[in-house]
Amino acid sequence: MSQSQAALEQLRIIRSLMEKAHIYRAVSAPAALLGSVLSLAVSVWPVVHAAKTHGEAAFSNTTFLVLWHAILAACTLLNMSLLAREAKRRDQPLFSEGMKTALRAVSPPLIVGGVLAGGLVIWLHNLTLAAFIWVLCYGLALIAMSNFAPKSLVRLGWAFVIAGLVLFLAWAANDEVRNLRTDLGPASLVMALTFGLLHLVYAVAVFASTPKSKEVAA
Amino acid sequence: MIDFDQLDKLIHEKSRLAIMTLLATRDDWAFQDLKTELGLSDGNLITHLRTLVSAAYIKESFDDTGSRPRTTYRLTAAGRKAFKTHIDLLEAIVKAARPS
Repeated sequence: MSQSQAALEQLRIIRSLMEKAHIYRAVSAPAALLGSVLSLAVSVWPVVHAAKTHGEAAFSNTTFLVLWHAILAACTLLNMSLLAREAKRRDQPLFSEGMKTALRAVSPPLIVGGVLAGGLVIWLHNLTLAAFIWVLCYGLALIAMSNFAPKSLVRLGWAFVIAGLVLFLAWAANDEVRNLRTDLGPASLVMALTFGLLHLVYAVAVFASTPKSKEVAA
Repeated sequence: MIDFDQLDKLIHEKSRLAIMTLLATRDDWAFQDLKTELGLSDGNLITHLRTLVSAAYIKESFDDTGSRPRTTYRLTAAGRKAFKTHIDLLEAIVKAARPS
């Protein structure tokens, strides 16, 4: 092997090790906490209302869709601003190689989930199935980052997938819940238990395990 | 003419180059994580780490505040500079061999 080939081989090894070892936390703990609080706040009333009125909807399907998209927008904005701050601290661009790799990994499940759930709410009026699709596709998107995401984020992904499947089976097997007059209550309960509670557990776990000086980066 | 003789022998060794590469990706690496990532034995890894600590390329820290004590390593400024110089030299060797 010539010197240039040996040098090239060493550079390849360096690059491959760096890519493999780079950790990119695409979901920051504060954004997860905000998502959790907003999810619980938006879900409690429709669940309580449905329980009291045997399934009456507290608000319309359109309001459900708008509210959850507003939560998504608020959390995405906070997440992006925190990622931008962290990128600045590291003297890296916001759209770093890490972010591009993360976007490539999460795009397929998020696009599929967004389109299917949107269609389910708008034309098929099935909020509960839409909620399951969101939960499962979000979980799959987090798992898709397993090569470069911290373990806590991958565990969150598995928690979403497992919770989504268990809740789906519980819902499918329960005629009484499936045959309620509207499904805003069950859909809101699914969102509260997953996007609300699981994000809360994730945020608390990350804050608890992060040294004080690094909390901004988490 | 640039050649391998100009490369830093401390970093050029395969395992130490891998250690320096990993340390360049994050602020801190725990001993166990380095061991898992590189697939080296405890003895082998500690020997290479000690060599790099002696050269002041990396810094060792001991943290016993958690439930399990952890030894972590990070690149020093000198280590980061040496690593960058090493990569620059490798790139120069590759570039020099390519026809213009």
